[in-house]
Amino acid sequence: MKMNKTILGYVPEESPLYRIHPFVRVFFLLVVSLFPMLINAPEWNLAIIVLAIFLLKYSRVNLSTLKIYVPVSLSMGFLILLSHTVLGGIHPEFYVSFKLFGFPFYYERIVAAVDVYTRVLPMIFLTVLFLSTSRERDMLVAMRWAHVPFVVTYLVAMALRSVGMVIEDFSIVRQAEKARGFDPQGKSIAYKLRQFVMYIIPLFALALRRSDEFANAIVARGYSFTGLREVKRPDYILTQYRFRVRDGLLVAIISLSLVGVLIIRFGLGGLTLEGSLTLQWLELWLKGGAA
Amino acid sequence: MSIAMRFEDYSWRYSRTSEPALKNVNLEIAAGAVVGIIGPNGSGKTSLAYSMNGLIPNQYNGIRTGAVYVLGKEVTTIPQAQLCQQVGLVFSDPEAQFTAMTVEDEVIFGMENMGLTIAQIKQRLDWVVPLTEIEPLMDKPPYEVSGGQKQRVALASVLGMRPPIMVLDEPTSMLDPMGRQRVFEVLGKLKREYQSTIIVVEHSLENLVPLADLMILVYHGEVLLVAETEPFFEQLGYLMKHDVFPPGVLEFFYQLKVAGHYPAAWPLPQSVAAGAARLRALFEEKK
Repeated sequence: MKMNKTILGYVPEESPLYRIHPFVRVFFLLVVSLFPMLINAPEWNLAIIVLAIFLLKYSRVNLSTLKIYVPVSLSMGFLILLSHTVLGGIHPEFYVSFKLFGFPFYYERIVAAVDVYTRVLPMIFLTVLFLSTSRERDMLVAMRWAHVPFVVTYLVAMALRSVGMVIEDFSIVRQAEKARGFDPQGKSIAYKLRQFVMYIIPLFALALRRSDEFANAIVARGYSFTGLREVKRPDYILTQYRFRVRDGLLVAIISLSLVGVLIIRFGLGGLTLEGSLTLQWLELWLKGGAA
Repeated sequence: MSIAMRFEDYSWRYSRTSEPALKNVNLEIAAGAVVGIIGPNGSGKTSLAYSMNGLIPNQYNGIRTGAVYVLGKEVTTIPQAQLCQQVGLVFSDPEAQFTAMTVEDEVIFGMENMGLTIAQIKQRLDWVVPLTEIEPLMDKPPYEVSGGQKQRVALASVLGMRPPIMVLDEPTSMLDPMGRQRVFEVLGKLKREYQSTIIVVEHSLENLVPLADLMILVYHGEVLLVAETEPFFEQLGYLMKHDVFPPGVLEFFYQLKVAGHYPAAWPLPQSVAAGAARLRALFEEKK
C-alpha cells in the first residue's frame, strides 16, 4: 500500500481524507480545538476525543501509533492532579474526600483537576489528528487559499522546515562530539545541563551559516519580500486543489457547530460542569452523595 | 559570437579581510559556451561565481572595483530580481538552497517569483521535470531524497527560470560518481539541445573536461590561465604546479609524453574512450 508522509506519520494514499480540501482540515482543527475551552462538562470533552479517534480511523491512520501518546497523557494527568491536590495548598473551606500520607485530597480540587485534564486532552487528540493526517504543504495551501499573505505562509513554511533542520544539526553535533570523547550519557542531569553549552554553541554557529545560505538561495531565485514588485505572484499549488461543494458544506457544518456550542453554553447555560453527569458521579464517589 | 559575461579589471575584497578574494580579473565568456572554472580551495572560485549573479556585492560586504557585464549590462545596474532571470546559480550544497516543503514547490518557487502565469509554469514544469528526471520525486520533501536527486532538484529549480546563463558552484561536491555523472548528463543535454551558457566551478574533472569548451584556472584570487579545453590541458605541468589534479587519463598520457613515449604533437586525450583510441593508434604506429 502506497503511503503519504504526514507531519507525524503516514496515511495511505487512498485515504478518504484527501478528498477534503486542506482549508477544511485546518478550519476543523482551529474551530473544534476551541470547543474544550467553551465546554466544561467532561463527558462532552471525552466525546470530542472519541470523535478524533473515529476520524483517525476513518482517515486510515494506524491507530496503534496512538500508543506513544499514552505515557504523555498519563503523566500529564498525574501532574495536573498533583498540582491541584498535593501542591494545591490547604483549604479548610473545601471538603476532604480522603487523606493520603497525611495530605488532604479535597473534592473541589479533584473536580478542578478532572475539569482541566478533560479539556486539555481533546486538544491534544485534535492536534494529533491534524498532524497525523496533514502535510506541511496542506497547512500552506489552507493559508494561501484563505488569502493569508504569501510572506506569512512562507515564514510558516520556513519555521516548519527549520524544526527538522535543527534536529538534524543537533544530531550531527552530538555525534561529532561523541566521536571525540564527549558523551554525557549516564551522567547526572546537573552535569548534562552544565555541558549543554557544548551543543548550543556549534548549533548556533550552524544556524547562522544556514540562514546565510538560505538568504543567498532565495535571493538567487528572485525572491524579495514583495516578490518582483511589478509582477503579480501566481499560486501554482492552489490550482492542484479544488474547493468543492462538499468542502463548503463541511465548513458550514463546523461553523454551525461552533455557533451551536456558543448558544448552548452562553444562551442556555448548558455544557457546564455543574450540570454534568461526571460531576454527579464524582460527587457520589468522592463525597458519598453528601451535599 | 556574442559575449554572455565579461569581467573588466574586476577585484573583490570581503570586509574584515586583508587580501582580496579576486584580483584584477579580466575575462570573456562567449554565449553558448560550457566553461569550467578550476582551482584549489580558497582560490576565489565561489567568489567569482557569486560575482556573476550579483550575490557579490548585493549580499556581502566588501570593496569592489572594476566591472562585471552580463549580456552587455553591468551587474550592479540590474535589479537582483531581474539578474537572477539572466544568471541562474546552483549552489554546492543543494540542501542549503531548498526553500519549500515538496520538490514540486521547490521547482516552481523561482517561476512564481518571476510572475509567470499558471500555464507558463505548467509548460516549464513539463520541460524541466523530464529533463532532470525528477518525476517520481515531485511529492516528496526535497531534503528527504538522495544526494544526487537533491542536486538534480536544485538544478531543476534554477533551470525552470530558463536563465540564458547557468552558473554551478561545485554541483557535484557531495555526490557519488553515479550522481556526478547524472548531473553532467543533464548539463550535456542543455549544451546539445538548448545551447545554454554553462559555467561550472568544479574540482572533479572527469565529467567536466569532455563537456567544457573553455577552461579557467583561478589561483589565489587571480585568473592565471584561460584557454580552450584541449590547449588548456596541454599545460598540465603548469596546472599541477598550481594544485590542479587532472583526471587520471590526462595525467597518464602526460607522463607518457614527458617520458617521450607519446608524440609531442598529439593532443592529450580528455576521456578514457579517447585515451583508449590514442593508445590503439600508438600501438599501430609502433608496429
